[in-house]
Amino acid sequence: MPDAILEVQEVHTFIGQFHILQGVSVSVPRGGIVVLLGRNGAGKTTTLKTILGLLPPRQGQVIFDGQSVQGRRSFDIAALGIGFVPEHRAIFRSLSVAENLKIAERARGDLDRKADFIFGLFPDLKRLYRLPGNHLSGGQQQMLAVARALVPDNRLLLIDEPSEGLAPIIIEQMMHAIRQLSAESTVLLVEQNFVVASQLAESYVIIEEGRSVQAGLMADLVVDRETIQRYLGAA
Amino acid sequence: METLRRNRTLLITLAILAFLLFTAIQGLSTRDWVITLLRGISVGAITFLVASGLSLIFGLLDVLNLAHGTLFMIGAYVGWTTYLRPDTLVDLLPPVLLLAAGLLLGPFWAALVGRWRTSRTVSRAWPWAALILAVALATLVFAQWPLARWDPAVAAQSPATYSLQLDQAIKAGQARAAPAPAAQGGLLRLAGAFLGSALLALGLAGFSAARYGGAGKVTGAPRRWALGALLLVTGVGIYTGDAALTRFLFGLDTAWLFLIALLVALVTGAALGALMEITLIRPLYTRPIYQLMLTLGLGVSGIELVQAIWGRTEFNMPKPALFQGSGAGCPATSIVDWLANGCSTIDVLGGRIRTYNELFVILIGVIVLVAVSVLLQRSRLGMIIRAGVQDSEMVEALGINVRQVFTLVFALGAALATLGGIIAAPSMGLSPLMGESLLLAALIALAIGGLTSFPGAAAGSLLVGLVQQFIIKYGQIGIRLPFLEQPFKPTPPLVPASTVLLMVIILLVLPQGLFGRKE
Amino acid sequence: MPTATPSRGFAVRAWLRANTGPLIVVGLLALLPFAVALIDGQPLAEVLANQPGQAKFIQGLMIEVFILAIFALSYDLIFGITGLLSFGHAMFFAVGAYLSGIMIKSFGWSLAPTLGLLAVVAVVQALLFSVVLPRVQGVTFALVTLGIAEVFHIVIQSRELVGYTGADVGLQGVIPPAFLSPAAQRLRFYFVALGLAVLVYLLCRRFVDSPTGRVCIATRENENRALMLGYNTFYFKLTAMIISSLLASLAGFLHMLYQPIVSPGIASLSYTVNALLMVLVGGMGTLSGAPIGAAILRLLTFYFDKWFGQSSGFILGMVYVALVLFLPYGIVGTWKLRRFAWRSGWARLAQPLRPPSRDGERL
Repeated sequence: MPDAILEVQEVHTFIGQFHILQGVSVSVPRGGIVVLLGRNGAGKTTTLKTILGLLPPRQGQVIFDGQSVQGRRSFDIAALGIGFVPEHRAIFRSLSVAENLKIAERARGDLDRKADFIFGLFPDLKRLYRLPGNHLSGGQQQMLAVARALVPDNRLLLIDEPSEGLAPIIIEQMMHAIRQLSAESTVLLVEQNFVVASQLAESYVIIEEGRSVQAGLMADLVVDRETIQRYLGAA
Repeated sequence: METLRRNRTLLITLAILAFLLFTAIQGLSTRDWVITLLRGISVGAITFLVASGLSLIFGLLDVLNLAHGTLFMIGAYVGWTTYLRPDTLVDLLPPVLLLAAGLLLGPFWAALVGRWRTSRTVSRAWPWAALILAVALATLVFAQWPLARWDPAVAAQSPATYSLQLDQAIKAGQARAAPAPAAQGGLLRLAGAFLGSALLALGLAGFSAARYGGAGKVTGAPRRWALGALLLVTGVGIYTGDAALTRFLFGLDTAWLFLIALLVALVTGAALGALMEITLIRPLYTRPIYQLMLTLGLGVSGIELVQAIWGRTEFNMPKPALFQGSGAGCPATSIVDWLANGCSTIDVLGGRIRTYNELFVILIGVIVLVAVSVLLQRSRLGMIIRAGVQDSEMVEALGINVRQVFTLVFALGAALATLGGIIAAPSMGLSPLMGESLLLAALIALAIGGLTSFPGAAAGSLLVGLVQQFIIKYGQIGIRLPFLEQPFKPTPPLVPASTVLLMVIILLVLPQGLFGRKE
Repeated sequence: MPTATPSRGFAVRAWLRANTGPLIVVGLLALLPFAVALIDGQPLAEVLANQPGQAKFIQGLMIEVFILAIFALSYDLIFGITGLLSFGHAMFFAVGAYLSGIMIKSFGWSLAPTLGLLAVVAVVQALLFSVVLPRVQGVTFALVTLGIAEVFHIVIQSRELVGYTGADVGLQGVIPPAFLSPAAQRLRFYFVALGLAVLVYLLCRRFVDSPTGRVCIATRENENRALMLGYNTFYFKLTAMIISSLLASLAGFLHMLYQPIVSPGIASLSYTVNALLMVLVGGMGTLSGAPIGAAILRLLTFYFDKWFGQSSGFILGMVYVALVLFLPYGIVGTWKLRRFAWRSGWARLAQPLRPPSRDGERL
């Protein structure tokens, strides 16, 4: 693809002595939403961490916006304009909501600049602004985790399982927010909930046992019962 | 109400502790308990200086730095040296500064080496050559460095003698005469020191390149050049102005000299901490047990090193004149009075409080507590530290250079320990093993407070100090226990045992410590 | 069964083949006193009669190594195999030394009942340490064990017990039975210590290869997984703790028999650290590393003291630091990997010069 903001080329990643990724390739076109699908433990989260350099690959490479991130440290890669929303709503519980947002600033004033946009997406956060992170409910924590990635101007957002463990009404809200923010930056999503994934994403990559096995347009996958059955189980 | 219920165990524990303190006070006269309380807080303050650094480092880096007691001890010795023999400091600064300047070249070498293509054999051999050359050069230069030496084995040149001389000079109200400066060598020596360290950096860069391939561009190059140049100029400047600087320092009032000693101890601690983290701790983050062993080894080596330089015997550090007076107007009746007359004691409630041990030490403890709390709660660095304690990987993913923060925190923790050392030295005296008992006390305080909690470290240290001092006090007067005819007198060994017991009990009730959080 | 005999013979031969190295080492150690005498020009009869000489001296040094080897093995069992970081291990050793010494000296007990009591007390103290296990883990466990051991260390030094423990001077005047006197029957003591060390090693091997040992290793690797497989890891930790305590007490008992004075220093943190160092130098969790580490540590300490005098401690400390950097898996571990990491050791020091690439983190 000529205009890919992110190219993951045949990466192999180890965690300790375990060969987790055994050749994953993902291409994310600029704009829009791409979703990584696959069973539990297939290597979706590891792929995200590999992109960010949290788990540097042993083979293959990651190209962000035409530039290889080979050998760079995570903070350096993130500073290129990649935001990360980890699974399990990993916000900083000992910090207040305000601090959780402020810590993500890459330049002074980032938060002031983006405040309207963020509070427009998640009005709850404005009300909870002074509260410590551990007083938030699960849904609120997930909103904060996403909001945190929006503070600096990120061109790519890596979002890991945004709907995990949330009530349907909150999922609805979250999907609305992700759709809106994808207007500003590209989104690479990991999502177990196929209904959510199919409604959000335009294209998909399926990862199976550490390999990327299939990629294409979401519209084609939705009608392809057999593939869904084979790689994702009953959906 | 919710908060009350959630912290029920903590609140009950605190209530029991308060009750114990209350009963402990009951048997004593007002004068006795005020003084014991102050002594307890004072010991707690010194413990806190060590424990706070330990807890910061453990919280963020997950390293239990068992060399922290040694850092404390080194702070005391370095501060003592600055205080009593500023000439040695002046002699030592130039080579140290030049060494640092040379090592700053490392990243530039690494970038340069990256562009240099050679055969495999050559690229493997030359780093060794550079390393050997660097060591040879350093040996050559430092073996004949003109240093105002002392010799612990010779009575006239031993630290104890210097301490005695200064003590007498302070009591007599005279300034000491500056010793004759050591013979000055040419600038060639300085060049040698710089070249040696530059070569060392080159050799290391070579090894690094052979392992990882060369580095790309250097980050923060202008800052590095500026810092290096500053170090060079300062080093050469001090070298040329050696005699004048020495005379100036010897002419200073002891209070000012003590302040300089504090600063030197702080800077030494920060430098040692940063050096330790960068070279030895950082490569082993994936192997925590080895980090533990490494800090242990460093701790032992540090003690031995200090013994080799300053000798094995204990000696004292005379307090500054401000805390030594006993003449007219002493003991003082108020703080203002003390500052005017420089008394060693103040009368409070009929008892005498030592101005250094029970006022100054506590004051420093409170200042550090407030300063570090403000740093943690109000600054961006503090925010990053608090976030990093919970999840440093996520902080890195936000685009923050966590390793740099790690180094900073390690340096800060080490600096707090060395500060504790120099603060404790005038009241505790100096011995190579002074850090060991303090490390144990700090570890206990940490466990009581909840390993990673900063307020916990403060509370734990305070508890340890108070328990120690009250047990000592009761060792003197005895406790009237039911069913016993004679009052029970706790013996000295029970002092450390009591704090350990306190720790075990608290941990059994609250496995996370008083302020620890369950994750 | 008719096939039983040949298959057993085969098993023995296979075992011998698999353990050639250790067997040779044990054989050489058995011959060592005589070899030293030959080199020194001392008649072998004098060695057998325990006459003073280089051979007797070397025997003494090696006896200390054997005792330390048992101690290190017992530590490897809980630290290297089960993954419990205890800072109170010295107490196990010291209880063995002090309790048996006091029983023999002050109460006039003979060896057999003393050993029996020691076994009971060893189990009890293992239980004492393990009481906190379900509640505290990791560094907190290390600190609690350190605390318990430190209280013991303080108690044996207190003036109140001077009649039994000798307070800060240490326990002295224990008369070992004549047939095992370290002075008059040094050679016999040497072989007893060697035999016990070998026996303890085999016992530990057996434990590690047993199903219980396997679960202990699984607990070290990933406690949650072991729990999820349905193992109550606490009981496995407790088992390891009890065996370790028994072995360490045995080492302490031998120490008491061999040394004229039992110093209270054997209950201090630095003695635990010694065990930790021996295990790490040898290679944690390898079992065979523990005796090797013990030998290296004791011999290095001895010869460094002899060669460098005052500054030996500093040099020893630097050697540890170098070992950590250059032999990160210990001697046995590195040997097994067949990979010596001299160059990466230097690269480790130079690591701040550049960001790690690829698997730089795993060096």
